[in-house]
Amino acid sequence: MRFFIKNIIFLLIFSYILPDSKTTINIWHQMLYENRKVLRQVCDEYEKNHTDIKINLTYRETEELRSSYQSAAMGGSGPELIYGPSDQVGPFSTMEIIQPLDVLMPDTYFNQFVSNAIVESDGKIWMIGDVVGNHLMLIYNKDLITSPPKNTDELISIGKKMTIDIDGDGRADQYGLVWNFTEPFFYVPWLGGFGEWLLNEDNTPNLNTAGNVKGFEFIKSLRDEHEIIPKECDYEIANAMFKTGRAAMIINGDWSWGDYKGVVDFGIARIPKVSETGTWPSPLVSTKGYSVNINTKGDKLSKTLQLLEYLTSSEVQLYFTAHLSSQPSSIDAVKHPLVTNNSLLQKSAEIIEVGRPMPIIPEMRAIWDALREQYQAVLGGTVSPEKAAKQAQENSIKQIAVMNEIIKPGIQSTIISWLIGIVLVIGLVMIFREAPLFISDYKNNKIAYAFFLPAFLAIISVVIFPFFYNIFISLSNYSLRTFNNWELIGMHHYIKVFEDPQFYSVLWKTILWTAVNISFHVSLGIFLAVLINRTLPAKPIIRTLLIIPWALPQYIAALSWRGMFNQEYGAINLVITKYFNLSAVQWLSQPFEAFIACILTNIWLGFPFMMVIALGGLQSIPRELYEAAQVDGATRWQQFKSITLPMLKPVMIPAIVLGTVWTFNNINVVWLVSNGGEPSNQTHILVSFVYKAAFNLYRYGYAAALSMVIFLILLSFVLYFLNRTKATEGVY
Amino acid sequence: MNKRAETILIFLFLSFFSFATIYPVLNILGVSLRTDNAFQSKSLTLFESQESYTDLNGDGIWNDDEPFIDSNSNKVWDSGSSFKSYITLFTDTDFLLWARNSIFISIVVTLTGVVFASTGGYALSRFNFKGRKFGMTALLTTQMFPATMLLLPFFILLSYLGLINSYIGLIIIYSSTALPFCIWQMKGYYDTIPPSLEESARLDGCTRFQAFYKIILPLSTPALVITALFSFMASWSEYVVAAIVLQDPKLYTLPLGLKSFQASLSTQWGLYAAGAVVVSIPVTILFISLSKYLVSGLTMGSVKE
Repeated sequence: MRFFIKNIIFLLIFSYILPDSKTTINIWHQMLYENRKVLRQVCDEYEKNHTDIKINLTYRETEELRSSYQSAAMGGSGPELIYGPSDQVGPFSTMEIIQPLDVLMPDTYFNQFVSNAIVESDGKIWMIGDVVGNHLMLIYNKDLITSPPKNTDELISIGKKMTIDIDGDGRADQYGLVWNFTEPFFYVPWLGGFGEWLLNEDNTPNLNTAGNVKGFEFIKSLRDEHEIIPKECDYEIANAMFKTGRAAMIINGDWSWGDYKGVVDFGIARIPKVSETGTWPSPLVSTKGYSVNINTKGDKLSKTLQLLEYLTSSEVQLYFTAHLSSQPSSIDAVKHPLVTNNSLLQKSAEIIEVGRPMPIIPEMRAIWDALREQYQAVLGGTVSPEKAAKQAQENSIKQIAVMNEIIKPGIQSTIISWLIGIVLVIGLVMIFREAPLFISDYKNNKIAYAFFLPAFLAIISVVIFPFFYNIFISLSNYSLRTFNNWELIGMHHYIKVFEDPQFYSVLWKTILWTAVNISFHVSLGIFLAVLINRTLPAKPIIRTLLIIPWALPQYIAALSWRGMFNQEYGAINLVITKYFNLSAVQWLSQPFEAFIACILTNIWLGFPFMMVIALGGLQSIPRELYEAAQVDGATRWQQFKSITLPMLKPVMIPAIVLGTVWTFNNINVVWLVSNGGEPSNQTHILVSFVYKAAFNLYRYGYAAALSMVIFLILLSFVLYFLNRTKATEGVY
Repeated sequence: MNKRAETILIFLFLSFFSFATIYPVLNILGVSLRTDNAFQSKSLTLFESQESYTDLNGDGIWNDDEPFIDSNSNKVWDSGSSFKSYITLFTDTDFLLWARNSIFISIVVTLTGVVFASTGGYALSRFNFKGRKFGMTALLTTQMFPATMLLLPFFILLSYLGLINSYIGLIIIYSSTALPFCIWQMKGYYDTIPPSLEESARLDGCTRFQAFYKIILPLSTPALVITALFSFMASWSEYVVAAIVLQDPKLYTLPLGLKSFQASLSTQWGLYAAGAVVVSIPVTILFISLSKYLVSGLTMGSVKE
């Protein structure tokens, strides 16, 4: 134990003071698991040759990398180098949180790369890529298919041959083709195949096209008419099916090679030519590379640039190629035998030829969003392809307008500044008036103050700054275009919130979500607690099993549930169809069912907590009360109603109140089970709505206003509930 | 109804319910034992066996001369299973380091939670001091703001105070998120204990503090257990705040470490699932060891009025 305490103190000190004379260069990246190891190796090598440098590598998943880098750079810190896909350059350069490289590096440096690897925007270079690719292709299982289909007619005929129901139960056990087809990124190559593209020359969206309609129809026909792809298929399911030999072909990116190596004997090919048009589908090709933080200056900047030069050098790129078969971006490296003798890379280069560069404009977010929503509606059968294409175009234009909107401060902002001033003055006056009362009260209740005040002040001090910060943001025009120079503009965003008809439908859904979850959590929790509180065989085991959902990390549990909801292979549908003879439910592709799926998952996650609270509460009920009731001849139900419930009330109320607040604001489950609001943004609750506004469309002001509205809704609910239940009062 | 029949009925119901409860967990266990690093598989059931074959002549049925694979890969255990992921987890990753960091943080937060919640809740339950009602409501209001919107201001605040990459900032934030519930919960439990107990103790010469410490606290073990469990869990499984505070991989907590197995479109599912299973073990042990205080054991005879 003493050793342990020593360790703790040691840790505490060292986590605080990091004695270091070296220059530390931080790199934040989103490299795949295997790539990270290689990156560490090349950095170790660099540290060996430059003893004054220490390189810290921090991994973040792509989306998170983007948002945490934004906050960090905004706050004046962050890593010196940031590594990621080229499309993050759009928002970062617009927000001015990365530096243009063309003034930092000589022309000779840029000349050593293929043109794909130099990421430009507004005439400046913002990123240097060290790999090229990230493109989709057709990957096929060589055990099942000897030569890949060349056009879509062949694709369909091979696909049909390969879609097999082995056990004759009416469900295909092997599919011809699988892929994450509900996601727009995995759809757009076909758009090229039908002769159209996402964007016009001037970077405006171009979704209302005949090609897009044909593309929608084509995917739908693969699923419904030809039945060569699964009815519901996300990335994980597609991947697992391909890996286990249950799918002959998959459309996936070059990043998946490492995953398949040694598991499947695979070959790669272009996505088959569209027979109708005779055109190859065009996968998006992008680069991944390094950008320099705007906050990196002086001596550190020159050291960082030196490191950048090393990391993008052809030697390091070839080292990556040797270990991971990545396509290098340096012209010298491309000519190296390591690349020219690698048949996979040569084939991949052929595929890249028909690809199109990934657009890096920040507006892409809005276009993806609009396309995703309508495309999934087509797949769900709620909209016709023509209407969806038209709607996607309109929505993306609307979203882009909102994203790029800069609201100038007007008369309202002066009024708001005055109001804030007045509120502050009133607050101060109130404090001064109340203070003497507190001081006199303190003398009577010293213990109470000593017990309560420290914790209270600590809690308040943690949230007070974020709270006021958010109020300010919600009254400001903080957004993509005003990232570094936002100003107060007034109630604009609040008005926007209440004007949006979607707000009311999402609010209604959120209330439903909360009410259903909490009632199940509480009733199930109390019910199980009462049952468990009796003498039972194997009681400790049952008790332990029942709290496991609480112990398990939520992320993986929610994803496991998502798998169980799969239309064809999910355990839930298997039980429904097999033992109850009902037809399979489209859990994840219909809005209502998807919402139910989220609720079921959350009930599962939440009931153990309530059960534990209720178990604790049951111990406070004196047995004598029940004995007395039995003597009086009360039935079980009467005992439960007039003894158990009232005695549980003081213990359950805090759990119910806070459970309501947490459930109302629980973004995880909805986000993971419905994969970010799928289908068609129909499964959002208010918090995921906020998240989407803030992190997808960079509408920070709007998101903050929405958060304030959520806060006020919850506050009024809780005040009402506490008043009704008199929860602040004691029972005695 | 016959008491015995009733017990059997309840037992059967609970067994069924427990099975439904752990089914998704068995799924995860299955993933952690598989070697192909795939999260979902063809057959997502634990019982149904599935086969596949190579259709050489393309007639759509299985002939005797065609190769046949039984890749029934979602059974928790079969020939394709191994402990590879677990071995990799402990030998090839920083899992033990993350575990040490997490245990340290969780224990500190739990201790803070127990100390402040037991005292804070007592003040709220037994004293009618000024600002009591306001204080209670204010505690609740701190939980109402969507967490995603707090991240940016948290980051700004912590970097201003120099608490990025430090456990102190993290522990303060964790404690302050766990405490509001714990304080309320303790208050609720104290409310069910008749104040007459302390009054008689004080008549016997106890001070106020002694009455709390010697009489009330021991009676409140179930609530203390809940407080401890809750504070522990709040810090043990928290990810979002940890991700902004801790950027140095050496300081990572378990959730951060586990998350690093996950990348968009390419996750190390075997490692992730194995990690998730291992991570839930300490919590389960904690629960088992605390649950004797939670269920029965304590006689409430002393509470007789």
